Amino acid sequence: MKRRTLQYSRFLALLLVFALMVGVVSAQGDRKVLVDAGNAVGASDVPTLDPSLATDTSSIQVLIETNPGLTRINEVTLETEPSMATWTVSDDGLVYTFSIMPEVPWVKYNAETDAVEQVLDENGNVRYVTAEDFAYGIRRSIGGQLGSYYGGIMASWVVNGDAVYAGELPVEELGVEVLDTYTLQITASKPAAFLSTIFGMWQAYAQPAWVIEEYGDFWYEPESFQGYGPFTLKEWIHGESITIIKNPFWPGTENIPVPALDEVKMMVLEASAALANFEAGAADVSIVPLSDIDRIQADPVLSEAYYVGPGSCTYIYGINTAKPPLDDARVRQALSMSINRQALIDNVTKGGQQPAFFFARPSLAAAPHQEDYPEYVLGEDVEVARELLQSYLDERGITLDQMEPITLAHNESEGHARIAQAIQQMWTEALGITVEIQTQEWAVYLETIKSDDAPQVFRYGWCLDYPDAHNFLFDVFDSQVRELGINWNNEDAAEFDSLVEQAMVEPDMQTRTDLYAQAENLLTNKDAAIIPIYYYTSLNLTQPWVQRTHSQFGQEYFEKWDIDLSARP
Amino acid sequence: MTSNLKRSTAAAAIPGLNAETKPESLWRSSVQRLTRNRSAVVGLAIILLTILVAVFAPQLAPMDYKTQVLSDANTAPRWVTQVFPVMRPADDGGYVKINETYLLGADRLGRDLFSRIIYGTRVSLMVAFVGPLVALIVGLTLGLVSGYVGGWVDNVIMRFTDIMYAFPTLLLVILLMSFFRSSLGNVEPGTFAFQVGELDRASGGMLFIFIGVGLTSWMQTARLTRGQVLFVREQEYITAARAIGSPTWPILTRHILPNILGPIVVAETLTIPRYISFEAFLSFIGLGVNPPTPSWGAMISEGAGAISTYPNQAIFPALALFLVMFSFNFLGDGLRDALDPRMRGIE
Amino acid sequence: MGKYIVRRLLWLVLVLFVVSAITFIMMRLVPGGPFNTERGVPPAIIANLERRYNLDAPLIEQYVDYVAGLALPRITDSSFRRSVAEDYLINIPLDFLGEGTALRWMNFGPSLTRRSQTVTAIISDTLPVSMQLGTAALLVGVLIGVPLGIFAALRRNTWGDFVGMGVAILGVSVPAIILGPILQYVFGVGLGWLPVTGWGSFAQVIMPAFALGFAQSALIARLTRASLLQVLNEDYIRTARAKGLHNRTVIIVHALKNALIPVVTVLGPLAAALLTGTFVVEIIFGIPGLGKFFVNSIINRDYTIIMGTVLLYAAVLVFANLIVDIVYAWIDPRIRYT
Repeated sequence: MKRRTLQYSRFLALLLVFALMVGVVSAQGDRKVLVDAGNAVGASDVPTLDPSLATDTSSIQVLIETNPGLTRINEVTLETEPSMATWTVSDDGLVYTFSIMPEVPWVKYNAETDAVEQVLDENGNVRYVTAEDFAYGIRRSIGGQLGSYYGGIMASWVVNGDAVYAGELPVEELGVEVLDTYTLQITASKPAAFLSTIFGMWQAYAQPAWVIEEYGDFWYEPESFQGYGPFTLKEWIHGESITIIKNPFWPGTENIPVPALDEVKMMVLEASAALANFEAGAADVSIVPLSDIDRIQADPVLSEAYYVGPGSCTYIYGINTAKPPLDDARVRQALSMSINRQALIDNVTKGGQQPAFFFARPSLAAAPHQEDYPEYVLGEDVEVARELLQSYLDERGITLDQMEPITLAHNESEGHARIAQAIQQMWTEALGITVEIQTQEWAVYLETIKSDDAPQVFRYGWCLDYPDAHNFLFDVFDSQVRELGINWNNEDAAEFDSLVEQAMVEPDMQTRTDLYAQAENLLTNKDAAIIPIYYYTSLNLTQPWVQRTHSQFGQEYFEKWDIDLSARP
Repeated sequence: MTSNLKRSTAAAAIPGLNAETKPESLWRSSVQRLTRNRSAVVGLAIILLTILVAVFAPQLAPMDYKTQVLSDANTAPRWVTQVFPVMRPADDGGYVKINETYLLGADRLGRDLFSRIIYGTRVSLMVAFVGPLVALIVGLTLGLVSGYVGGWVDNVIMRFTDIMYAFPTLLLVILLMSFFRSSLGNVEPGTFAFQVGELDRASGGMLFIFIGVGLTSWMQTARLTRGQVLFVREQEYITAARAIGSPTWPILTRHILPNILGPIVVAETLTIPRYISFEAFLSFIGLGVNPPTPSWGAMISEGAGAISTYPNQAIFPALALFLVMFSFNFLGDGLRDALDPRMRGIE
Repeated sequence: MGKYIVRRLLWLVLVLFVVSAITFIMMRLVPGGPFNTERGVPPAIIANLERRYNLDAPLIEQYVDYVAGLALPRITDSSFRRSVAEDYLINIPLDFLGEGTALRWMNFGPSLTRRSQTVTAIISDTLPVSMQLGTAALLVGVLIGVPLGIFAALRRNTWGDFVGMGVAILGVSVPAIILGPILQYVFGVGLGWLPVTGWGSFAQVIMPAFALGFAQSALIARLTRASLLQVLNEDYIRTARAKGLHNRTVIIVHALKNALIPVVTVLGPLAAALLTGTFVVEIIFGIPGLGKFFVNSIINRDYTIIMGTVLLYAAVLVFANLIVDIVYAWIDPRIRYT
């Protein structure tokens, strides 16, 4: 028996040595490889790398680096700036002419040589990114019958877009024209201040027609993927990580410099595993799990790495305005007024979020700031809330106990559950009403909240696609495209529609802001068709050896980042 | 030499045999063996205690399980911070606010952990009994029929059992959940459907889920039962009963069932930890109990996300779970040892 | 024996057929579909997508098409191109019939939510990972469980038994959900010995295998204990003991071999469960395994992945049981299959 134990311990020692060896081998030498445990975290995989199909932040994060658009959003100022092209607009605001940067080659990572190579055409010449490639991308998104969500968004802004999207007109009828190799002209269906941003979105990125034709649905797997931006796709281990590598042929522009990093490896991880990696020094950037914020803030090392900045989303409770007792604006107002948003933020959500009374985030162009329009802000007042509820009950001649029960639904998630339970208690304490919380599994939830029979109150969030108030107020609540508030059909809703439609085409910024403020007044105050709760912040942890920028719109520009190798342990 | 040896081993192995002459009843000897098994007795005691805790939760819990004091969220008494060194108190340069009101600390919403663990006993015990009970009923019935009737019936049932092994339980859970949480949420009070919904709500939405889980977990029981029946039906007293023309049903219920029930019930108790783990797994993927109803599984999976910051929120419910699992296991093992006739005499 | 195996394999086909039908019906009864997103896709587009994936056909037709695509082998010539709609798991080149000719079998169809991936590709990418993880976990389970079971059995009803079984039960009752993060913080962050997450190197296998195998070790320990106790009471052991053989020799040489038979029987279902039941560990340790895809496919209503993984699970289970039965017969000569 003694000899056996000895053998075991020798075996264990061997295992340990082996483990250490493996650990040493995986060190990265002097290449600047950034391990990012932030931007793809929480997903089970990066869903797609097809610009026509991407809808989620991680897919768009990769594409923004591999296939930059005609224009792009500055990550700090949120203004639209030239990217692959500069542009001019006709006087009527309808014709956009883009001059594309000449001689930017298409590139591909070659796994055998471990190098990024220029793509050659059938005659052996370098393939450059042309107006035709952008036109192809736009036509494919809108007219490719792919079920592209953002193709649909863009369709409404391009001449004949909606008809092409619906398959009623051939794709050639689309208002997109190639004037010469490097000049693209897009004719808009209606003018708007934010069109240059829309035409720079991912569904309008240049796409390699020759690759898509040859490889079909598999074209964006690493074996065939081609890009042209500061980085290109190197490796994609589904469900584990996706790696982009520096493109040495990227010329570098004022807005998109030549990257200092050699590679960025985005890990697909669960939030607390991301943090553990960061703490072990295995990740350079990490997201911040809600439950660890207290410790991070108190920890001398982690608190230095902790960053809180403006986010890109608004957290709201949607309401089914057809279901009693929430079919009466007074009850809705009472619910909204009896939420103590600051207490919720301080004790539950923690990350320094801002209490919201308007739906559109203040960082958006033309979005009214709630401080500037105090008369439109519903505010919080438990006394008034009680009176409102009482006047409703008196009018119906019922008591609180006879009022219909209220259901608050959210999709399953730790964070939503905490918020819902805290708000449930606030309502019970302030108004004496009982609220039942219903948790639903994601796919079921999506069906439920969009049906006529949606629960009275349900969680919803909206993140910006392009930084304009239109993206929030029109895209979510206008009855033409309405995402939410299906049962919101009264005169206020009609007036809301006319206000946001007016604001869409209004050229003067101040007038637009005023119009949106009036719309917010109807949506969140007078009719209280939704309950805004807070504006998100973006939280992250960054190791001290990483120099970076902090984006306010959901994606990062890694070409502006660097790693100080001498400071990295 | 040989005969001597046999006698001496037999005597050594069965000490009571030579000394006692009066016949020992099976039941009594089983009880005796069980009570002599210290770990089984401890297990039984803990389970009985847990049941009492579940029944008298409102009397035992110092606070309400759902009252939140948001300003007390994540606070802990000093002794907890001493047990878990990561939890440095705020007055010592750490982040944990000290609050002695809560015995084990407060959770992320400022609810008393201890009270939630006490109330959590209800759902967790419900899960521990409902699933195995359903599995027992189905498995026993199918196993009895299969083993006793034999022939093509046996064949069909056993092949059905094989299929059920591969049944996607998670899919069924989601199906049940979407049914109970959306359809039953919208029925008129007073109807039967409403009563059913109320029952489901009282269990935090877990009752029917675990009936469903039980309905897909009876295969081992059915196989075991069938095996036992095959063994018992060849015994003389059954053959005799059949020979005098007793109808099938009484033979099954009066003669066969009592003889095989013991080991099967025991085997079933050994599956209990699986059901409790499954409840925790459902919480992990977000399909667990409806809040604010507490269950140990839900508390553990919620707390696990914060294990590096507030380990007490996961470890304490895990300890409660451990204690009960431990008890079920020891009781199960003890019962098996006690009831298995082949185990008689080894002490 | 040969006949028996053939019969069992034929039976496998029937099991898979019935399981596929049940799964197909159930997943369609669940509300929600693969193309629903938070943003809400216009109905016209959903219709478009459903047409593309044949989801607008009558259910029975969809089912028949699916089964036909999966079960019927086909011979393709050089014009065959792998696509999302046609991607076969088994491809046998038949070059003697002409350049590029091949026999292809088992097309699991395209994933409905990951448009560049086929279920075949997902299975062939993730199954090896899950198999490695499952095997490592099983090894951990056996290496901890069997010695613990023996230890407890030999010290029956003493504190040793109590503690031994306590350790084993700790395994079942500390689910991987909580054990995983604890291991990560102790060995990954605190001691820095092992990588916190990831897959590929030996060092990355240790923690997940332990997190997964520890729970299994409890089951194995309990079975070993019970079965060893039973065996120790058999006549031949008493005989051996009485012959004056050393106690340890008796246990190792005579008792253990027989005691392990029931342990072997549970290894089959256990192996199958480990193969697909690794979701929690895969999520915690960031491992690109099959469990993750299975659970997510159910949540995303990715019908083809659900079907593919359920069928795979069923096949593995039936196979594992078959292998166990064969091993069983090999260990215990009294068992004969006809």
